[in-house]
Amino acid sequence: MNPNDHSALLIVAHGSTMNPDSSAPTLAHAAEIRRRKIFAEVGCAFWKEEPSLRDAIFLFDPELIREVYVVPNFISEGYFTQTVVPRELDLNGRITKRPNGQIWKYCEPVGSDPRMTDLLLQRAREIAPGVAEAETSLLIVAHGTDLNENSAVAAKREAEKIRSVGKYAEVLNVYMEEPPLVLDWRKLTTTRNVVVVPFFISDGLHSYEDIPRLLGIKERRLPSRRRQPNGRLGSRPSSKEIFRRNPYKIDNRLLFYAPSIGTDPGFADIIIEQALAAKS
Amino acid sequence: MPSSIERILGTALAAPFYFGQILIQKTKPGGFVLSHRDDHSREDLQRFRNPDDAIEIAKYGDTGSYRPLKTAPNLRHGWRLELADLEELRRALDYFYPARLAVFATWKGGKLKTTPLREALDRQSGMYRVAAKISDSQIDDLVANFCRSNGGCLRTILWKRDRDGAIASTKLPKEKFDPAWDQAEASARPGSTIPATVPLLCQEACNLLIAECRKVVKGK
Repeated sequence: MNPNDHSALLIVAHGSTMNPDSSAPTLAHAAEIRRRKIFAEVGCAFWKEEPSLRDAIFLFDPELIREVYVVPNFISEGYFTQTVVPRELDLNGRITKRPNGQIWKYCEPVGSDPRMTDLLLQRAREIAPGVAEAETSLLIVAHGTDLNENSAVAAKREAEKIRSVGKYAEVLNVYMEEPPLVLDWRKLTTTRNVVVVPFFISDGLHSYEDIPRLLGIKERRLPSRRRQPNGRLGSRPSSKEIFRRNPYKIDNRLLFYAPSIGTDPGFADIIIEQALAAKS
Repeated sequence: MPSSIERILGTALAAPFYFGQILIQKTKPGGFVLSHRDDHSREDLQRFRNPDDAIEIAKYGDTGSYRPLKTAPNLRHGWRLELADLEELRRALDYFYPARLAVFATWKGGKLKTTPLREALDRQSGMYRVAAKISDSQIDDLVANFCRSNGGCLRTILWKRDRDGAIASTKLPKEKFDPAWDQAEASARPGSTIPATVPLLCQEACNLLIAECRKVVKGK
């Protein structure tokens, strides 16, 4: 594709009315893809932020844009990718032709891409540089008990794929709210080194506070980030500090804690590939 | 070929113009400078030069609170964003007020489809399905409070309450539904007649209002 193709990319994600960091990775991936000038236009839309999914119907000028590739920035297929996004965008299948002539192509979510496994491995290596993988346990953390989402299944699938590579001593899918519990990481793992990667699209309360508390690397929930001291932009204290104190020494073990996988810049490549797959 | 949005921006830029709470002024040939409209005479503004900086500027209000609704009248003060060209201007404005330019361009072209609130509510599933049970009188009160320009939202409401064309709220001034009015000015000085150059149009209830409808039904 090139800008002369009159094609646009729309990245759709959940967003949040509470978590300021929820949409940040999606916006960053969009900016990166925009910089590469692969599509004539690149936009984002969110279920809980602006622009809304309903707004997105109007985002692309039908005089200039003939095809719109919709890529869900979701970790798995589920309620949002199968029900909410198609309904809100007025999509009636993989390919929808609008009355204005625009063709909208609905692509696979990023979490379904086989290269997700490589990204997880890469993130695990980056967060624990120089640590022997054969002496390390890798934990992929998902939420669990999601009523209509398959993120727990996706985490299990990724853990199985990484296990089959045979690099790490142990590879486990663990969950916040159902067994195997992340809380039980000491019992579930036998190695001295443990690497933990949250299998989420963005960082937020789960990765900043909930999982760290379950791991025992954060004592208690910090005051809400919704109100920050007044000051100049960029002066806010960072919740990302939790990722900068690696390794954590607990019970003679070394624990390395990574940011959510969705913040990896490699997601931009996967988003592009999902769009290209729908084009071919 | 410029998009319809760029054509509209080009026309609007014949003079400095307001877009919500933002003042947009031309600078050197082809360049623009943006600031909070209240800050036009301030000289101690923090300077930015990348359109992507608008993401962080728009994210928090003056008190540091997260702004989930970008068209709420709580844009932070104290910044000045210098942009090189029309493309950067368009991108920055899309971060400040996401999709509002595209919706305005569609409206100007006579092709904007609005959705009655009842239709948006009936479409919901999952935890929001219950929101459709809200009564007409509850909608009247909720919209009057949640969407008011003074403290709620600066958009101009184009949608109706239902398919019969009932007004979204009888308790809002008629100017709230008129794209010719500058909602930001109207909220600061009730009765003001300053026209809007590019209004923030609302073609359909946002997710935040749907969530508020649910809260009303659930008695929260």
